[in-house]
Amino acid sequence: MRRKRTGLWNLFATGAVALACCASLATAADSMSISQELDVNYLYVGGARTRGAGLNVGQVDENSADVRYVVSPQLTKDVLLRVGLEWQRFSFGVPGNQPVPTVLQQVSAVLGFDYAFADQWLMRVEVQPGVYGDFHSVRWDDVDAPLILGAVYLKDADLQWFFGLRLDARSQYPVLPAAGVRWKFSDQWTLDFMLPNPRLEFDFNGGLQFYAGAGIDSGTFRVNSNFGTSHGLPALDNEVLDYLEIRLGAGATWKITPTITLDIGTGWMPYRSWNFHNADIVFRSHNAPYGQISCRARF
Amino acid sequence: MTKPGWRFLIAMMWCVAATTPLHAQSPVDSLKTFSDFPSLKLDRLFAGEIFTERGALMNFPNGISGQTCFFVPASAETTAARLQTWDPSPHAELKVYGFRFLKSPADLEDFRGLSFQSGQHPVRWLMDKIVTTTDSKSELNLTRAEAQALAACTGRRADPANAATCWTKLLLDRATQFQRNALTGIPPYELPGPTAVPVEQLRAMLLEQASITHEFAPILQAIGLLGTKPAPNFTPVWYWTFFEADHHGAVALGAVYKLQVGDHYQLADVEYYVSNSYQTAVTLYEVWPMESGGTPGALVWRGDYFAAPMLAFTKGAERIAYGALMLQDIKKEVRCFQDSLKGKQ
Repeated sequence: MRRKRTGLWNLFATGAVALACCASLATAADSMSISQELDVNYLYVGGARTRGAGLNVGQVDENSADVRYVVSPQLTKDVLLRVGLEWQRFSFGVPGNQPVPTVLQQVSAVLGFDYAFADQWLMRVEVQPGVYGDFHSVRWDDVDAPLILGAVYLKDADLQWFFGLRLDARSQYPVLPAAGVRWKFSDQWTLDFMLPNPRLEFDFNGGLQFYAGAGIDSGTFRVNSNFGTSHGLPALDNEVLDYLEIRLGAGATWKITPTITLDIGTGWMPYRSWNFHNADIVFRSHNAPYGQISCRARF
Repeated sequence: MTKPGWRFLIAMMWCVAATTPLHAQSPVDSLKTFSDFPSLKLDRLFAGEIFTERGALMNFPNGISGQTCFFVPASAETTAARLQTWDPSPHAELKVYGFRFLKSPADLEDFRGLSFQSGQHPVRWLMDKIVTTTDSKSELNLTRAEAQALAACTGRRADPANAATCWTKLLLDRATQFQRNALTGIPPYELPGPTAVPVEQLRAMLLEQASITHEFAPILQAIGLLGTKPAPNFTPVWYWTFFEADHHGAVALGAVYKLQVGDHYQLADVEYYVSNSYQTAVTLYEVWPMESGGTPGALVWRGDYFAAPMLAFTKGAERIAYGALMLQDIKKEVRCFQDSLKGKQ
């Protein structure tokens, strides 16, 4: 066990060093040939009535945070490498000793590339190897590597079609297809119908935009080997769960500088689920307000 | 043959190759020597296909480029002449609200077609930016003196006729300075952001394209974009155009130069003033005579170089997408030009 943990932390140490190298490259090298993305997001969802497995779990609220940093050096005119890190954490305020995880967390590398394979087509391949679990203890069982394949067809400046595929062997749905569109149908209105944040956007002016739409958070995590036993449902020990959260709301994005955008939104969370699909146990939350703030930097 | 004999022969062949004028090559071979097109399928070219290549990333942060190559069923001479005097405004898909060539010297009459009466959003947008310009603040590319003159002229009144009159005065002044002093007569932009000098931006972009500047040295030197001695009496065709760019109305002043180089032609369309959306642009053309099925035609290479401040913040995949979309627009324009030569419009 000790050896396994050392190996795991070595993996992270290596990833961290690689990322540090890329970051130093990014500052040292020609600034136009390397791009960097930083996304920081915080979300609070108020108490939502939660039930499942014949239990009334009670009101569960949520704090979640997500930080994602990707460095993207240009390898050729048509290929961009993508190397980065992502940390995402869902913390749930679960009353008593109910069998709903209080923490679901992801720490992963981001490895992939963008490729312009035709005049009007771009594709993205991205794998996120890392630890996806409740972090009660970190084990090799928690390691996963979901793969995302995406393509965009650039019809013109006002219309782009998106096609995507998410592959995760541990999920109940190991292959999940998706399609979307970004359509600027008038000077001020844009339908940005793309997962995970499909929106209808209104450009108030060059720097301020209002939107209404949905937000989806999802992921596949493994709980610890004692989770079920310690919460009175032994069937959930070491189980994999698919987490899904759907939100409906509105907000505003403000372009603080040409490279930094602030997004503030609020609305309603109609549905959330923790699906232990192998054990056939699902906990569901319904109807709670939420507030969200996020910052996006591209430099 | 002895070793020194071989060396002499190779040296002689090298000298012959180095001194052979480019026009002795086939048009396609010439094109391959400087362009980003490694190969061209002639049958597809003759069928009307437009080949495109996105330009490589520039060190100049505000620059973006693209190349196109196409065939037109008209002689090189006719094609070059039409490129120099082509009016895009009849083609609705190009969203050109107004276009007119200027006399020399230009006068107010040349700008008579410039109007803000339309209710279209891009047109209203530009008028709004004109009338909200103050002595020290504007979203348009202006000198401070121009901003002051514009603010005094419009009096912040949203009157389309008055806005057109004030805007025309400004454009006429810039066109006149260019007609008198060519590239040295282009005032810098002191608003809306840091000072930008269009001619320096054009040079910065072109100097990164070594093979292009080598190929186009004759016309670029004659204009004065390369070297220090522009050719005297090298007169272009001047124009103004009012068009849509990124959902905003924009006005540009330009000059199209044409030069015969051996059996082919070089053209340079320099947009020496652009009101907004981007800062300056140059489009280079090389036109070679080329027969298709026994009838005269022309092979055209086109290179577009744009400078826009927002490009400095457009990186990664977004930058690639921007370049691809730019080429889509250029392709649309080339298609309209091909159609106009076929007599469709």
